[in-house]
Amino acid sequence: MDSSLNIPFLIDTFWVALSGVPTALLVTVVAMLIAVPVAFFFALTRINNIPVISQIAKIYVSFVRGTPIIIQIFVLYSFIPIFLNSIFTKYNIDYPIYDIHPLWYAFIIFSFNTTAVLIEVFRSALGTVDRGQLEAAHSVGLTTKQAYIRIIIPQALVSALPNICTATVNLIKATSLGYAISLQEITLRAKVEANLGYNYLEAYIDIFIVYLIVCIAVEQLFKWWEKRLSRYKMASA
Amino acid sequence: MLEIKNIHKSFGKNEILKGVDLRIDKGDVVVILGPSGSGKTTLLRCVNFLERADKGTASFGDINVDLKEASKKDVLAIRKKTAFVFQNYNLFNNKTALENVAEGLIIGRKVPKQEAYEISKKALDKVGLSEKYDFYPSQLSGGQQQRVGIARAVALNPDIILFDEPTSALDPELVGEVLQVMKDIAKEGTTMLVVTHEMGFAKDVANKVIFMDGGVIVEEGTPHDIFDTPKEERTRKFLRRVLPDNYEFDN
Repeated sequence: MDSSLNIPFLIDTFWVALSGVPTALLVTVVAMLIAVPVAFFFALTRINNIPVISQIAKIYVSFVRGTPIIIQIFVLYSFIPIFLNSIFTKYNIDYPIYDIHPLWYAFIIFSFNTTAVLIEVFRSALGTVDRGQLEAAHSVGLTTKQAYIRIIIPQALVSALPNICTATVNLIKATSLGYAISLQEITLRAKVEANLGYNYLEAYIDIFIVYLIVCIAVEQLFKWWEKRLSRYKMASA
Repeated sequence: MLEIKNIHKSFGKNEILKGVDLRIDKGDVVVILGPSGSGKTTLLRCVNFLERADKGTASFGDINVDLKEASKKDVLAIRKKTAFVFQNYNLFNNKTALENVAEGLIIGRKVPKQEAYEISKKALDKVGLSEKYDFYPSQLSGGQQQRVGIARAVALNPDIILFDEPTSALDPELVGEVLQVMKDIAKEGTTMLVVTHEMGFAKDVANKVIFMDGGVIVEEGTPHDIFDTPKEERTRKFLRRVLPDNYEFDN
């Protein structure tokens, strides 16, 4: 076997790996869209110590944090069909459960995981905004909801953004585990290509570069956003 | 105008307010004095429902409420008649001075934007900040921030402004500018309920002084009554501690 890199294959496979980017980003965006509001809701229950829900959120966070994502993927990927099957059988629904597109599993699994991460991110971010501002908002006649939307969240978001960025980048990288449920994302596509001629090293280099490009782009986007949002901090910066 | 009867409030097992009555008429400047922990701030916060009292009633113009059971609607109605100036300013950090003042007008009172900004500019001019409309709180000194806080209260044109130790968080050299602004608005006939440790302000500006200790009102009267001829031993003790060493009572 030739030990030098197969450059034409390296280049060809780069485009193959790149073609997985939309899938990886789709999973990331959908997971974030689901996770952000749910996590925000749970973070509020944690801050305000709402009984029961706050405890459930706490346990949920510990569970997700305490287990590897790949295991969460395996468990949910095995559990969901069994769960659906029992429901469908009970209500006599005829639906080919095992034909469900892996994309749907990816949405569920990664939102499940990201929600837990974001609960903690939001909880700490909301804590950075002094409670006095909420009181001041009340005293000038704003409702709690208006105060959150106009005063608290815009400030909490600024302190949350670096952590949200980390969570997003981690999520993009975690979608590489989608290969375990045959999700046609970056890693799987390049690996399939490599299988043909055993050019694994080239494929891995391609995968490496593609993730690097995507993640750096996302980081830059967040940096720009953070700068825009934190204009009000200019003097204390 | 505002009458509060038999207000009680506990935090856990600690009873902070043990049945306080308070009456404020239009144009009054009432100053509440007392050692820390005497319940002054809690009393003020209960009036504006920043804390829920455990017991007591309030009548505010045509609104009569039970302080414990007051509905959301009553709370909003009473908050509309009052404004609050906080010890730590509590300005909205993501908004400019002008936006801070206009926020309550636009969102809370539904005043059209254009008009709200006009009113807000006038309020900021009044506290001497006409140069600072577009500054964020982080760009202002403590004294300037507190003056924005006062402008925010004044702009709402409330029946009464509640001041919770407005100068306690300030560097000593900044206290004067804030007190001056408070004197100015008092002169215009604004009704004010002020918790403060500034004895000079109490003597010069107030028309009624209340001395609180241990969750009750110990003594109340005109500044002359309290500062020159205090009757209660607790009042005399407190004043001796906070007034200059060479200060003499008349009685």
